[in-house]
Amino acid sequence: MLIGTVVGNVWATVKDPTLAGLRFLVVQPFTLEGESAETIVAVDPLGAGIGERVLVVFGRAARHAIGRGHDVGFQAAVAGIVDRMELEDGRLVGPTRAQDR
Amino acid sequence: MFLGRVVGEVWATRKVAGLEGLRPLVIAPLDERRDPAAPKVTPVIAADPLGADLEQRVVVAFGKAARVACGGDGDYPFEAAVVGIVDDFDVPDAPADWRAGGAGGR
Repeated sequence: MLIGTVVGNVWATVKDPTLAGLRFLVVQPFTLEGESAETIVAVDPLGAGIGERVLVVFGRAARHAIGRGHDVGFQAAVAGIVDRMELEDGRLVGPTRAQDR
Repeated sequence: MFLGRVVGEVWATRKVAGLEGLRPLVIAPLDERRDPAAPKVTPVIAADPLGADLEQRVVVAFGKAARVACGGDGDYPFEAAVVGIVDDFDVPDAPADWRAGGAGGR
């Protein structure tokens, strides 16, 4: 599992049938030294918006989060929308970057 | 599995079924600090069935091992879990921050 910030949406009309009706989000993983350079794509059953911080799960956990069985064409899913994350160094990571303290 | 340090906690109200009652911890892998030029550390978010505290060193497992540690090989919407709270370790070449705090730590 990782925490990331939603930085975009992806639309694809032609896709594997097991992905029908699922939203794709572009998520930038949170790192302890600022945002990661890489991004990942995750399906989203919760309706997270751009700028929101989300909890992303992978593999079997992602398939279970979506609930379409285990023969599906995705491997990462949003499992939670983050209210806050408190770090030991006193940093408070908020629901969006603008709310970090 | 990897050795990590508990650096934070996560709260999320909106989440999929199966994450209720979970206490997700933010775990910074220790080995990624060996190389100063290493990429930025993406902390792993892990379920914590054992009750680890901030700054404790823990062993984190993935997949089936994580599910079993959380009560059985059932269906869970998470794939990483704390499976051990470290009492001590002996890694002679480990950087000092493996043992002593690290950025913002003790």
